[in-house]
Amino acid sequence: MIMVEKMGKPGVAIVSGRFESDAVASSRAFGMPDLQWVVVPHIYRNLDPETCRTQTEDAIDDLVGSLTSSIDAREETEAVDTRRYEGEDRYDSILKMNQEFINEDLGDGLFLQPATPEAVAEMLKGTNLPPDHVVCDMPPGFGVATVEKIAINSVMAGAKPEHLPVVIAAVKALSKLGGQGGKSLLMSTSPQAPLLIVNGPATKQLGLNPGSALGPGRDNQINTLIGRAFALCFRNIGHWYLNKMDMDTIGTSRKFIQCIAENEDASPWQPFHVDQGFEAGESTVSVFVTDGELDVQDQGNHTAKGLLKNLAYGLTFGTMSLQSPRSGQERLILMPPDVARPVGTQGFSKQEAKEYIHEHARGSIGKLMQYMPLEGEARVHDHWKWLEKLTEQQLLEVTVPIMNDADDCYILVVGADRAKTAVFPSGPAPVTEGIDQYMP
Amino acid sequence: MHLLEVSNPVAVQRGVLNAISASNRPNSLNNKMVGLIWSGTHGGDIALKRAGEMLQERYDNVSVNFYTGGNYPTPPAIVKQAGEECDVVIGATAD
Repeated sequence: MIMVEKMGKPGVAIVSGRFESDAVASSRAFGMPDLQWVVVPHIYRNLDPETCRTQTEDAIDDLVGSLTSSIDAREETEAVDTRRYEGEDRYDSILKMNQEFINEDLGDGLFLQPATPEAVAEMLKGTNLPPDHVVCDMPPGFGVATVEKIAINSVMAGAKPEHLPVVIAAVKALSKLGGQGGKSLLMSTSPQAPLLIVNGPATKQLGLNPGSALGPGRDNQINTLIGRAFALCFRNIGHWYLNKMDMDTIGTSRKFIQCIAENEDASPWQPFHVDQGFEAGESTVSVFVTDGELDVQDQGNHTAKGLLKNLAYGLTFGTMSLQSPRSGQERLILMPPDVARPVGTQGFSKQEAKEYIHEHARGSIGKLMQYMPLEGEARVHDHWKWLEKLTEQQLLEVTVPIMNDADDCYILVVGADRAKTAVFPSGPAPVTEGIDQYMP
Repeated sequence: MHLLEVSNPVAVQRGVLNAISASNRPNSLNNKMVGLIWSGTHGGDIALKRAGEMLQERYDNVSVNFYTGGNYPTPPAIVKQAGEECDVVIGATAD
């Protein structure tokens, strides 16, 4: 609608129920705070036709008003640089700060460190960039990501100055993701969440855990702190607030974002950042957007082909959109050393392993498209129109590749000893950003 | 007593810095061309068509154009076409 308004024509969106706060946030993010909309109670997508009509009829007066009445500008709150909290002692004042921050949804629910001027100044020593340097406009809300704002959120997360270049690079990488930083995905009602993966010398210098890397505890402290710093940036700079610009239906614990390292020492192949065009001696962070997670167990295969066939079967879950000729499916594969090592030593390059997985990862299109009934659906691409002539049984019997090509899966070696692979539906394609350029 | 001062973590949004106003509204929809943009998902077409019918019942000489790009979000070319051909436009978001 903003595009229509920019053409000088009145535009109104019909917004469903809980999406009104999303409309408020989106209108600000996309530069037209007084954009007009009307609200109906329920999301149309799963309503019967009669209810679609009646809830629209109930909104018609509002719709006419939005198209024909003059518009009052929405009130804007003035941004402040600092906040003050008075308590009986320092700890009490920090508690008060935490309470207000959580009331305003500026935190992740866990205890926040106070970003005092002294702590922020110390954090800023972690980079060569000046505080007012603009790294990017961070999606999905396109907040202006200055180095200072990134530092403030990093302090709140409990991160250290040496972590700051990783956080800056990750923020930059997110803004480079396809589709304006994966904007539509990040705002989706599905639980997409970023995962950060570091390569190069920084992994050991910082103490990132490349083993049993996803989870809480001592071994993953650095993974957690850097991931949390990025997550708070995402929230307060990217304005990725739940029910505003993050419209998850159920949500996911993956939004407690983790930053892990590739287990380069245990890999038979070159590191992922070299695949992405960087030198092995450079340090990088890659941002993947994941949409689910599956543990693919292997209970006895020891041949490369056996391990890869089992893994390929593990990739065949999920759904497939018919909106384009391409399946649109990507998979991030965190392959433990007990799978990668035999595959590599039995002669498979990483590319050959990806091609073998792609060849064997096929699923029933009848199952993959079950989530999107063809009837009443305008988004089926001409490429798939022939499916409309098949019976349900025939659809179940047609198999298609889960991914369009081998390069739609990404293999990184991560993990401790045991042949259990983590597979994530992912996409858009990951972005890798150098870290060294942001170091002091 | 202790006074704690902390920095604000919230970044101003580029869209707020560069905000523009919505366009002027007509007094009436009489003799107007109404564009209905459907993102292609279930139910949104029914809602938009019903809205178009009701506007035609309320106002004189209202024409309705229905647009769909068969995709989500609606392709910019379709939105641009609607903006060029119509006097007002209605869309359904999160439909």
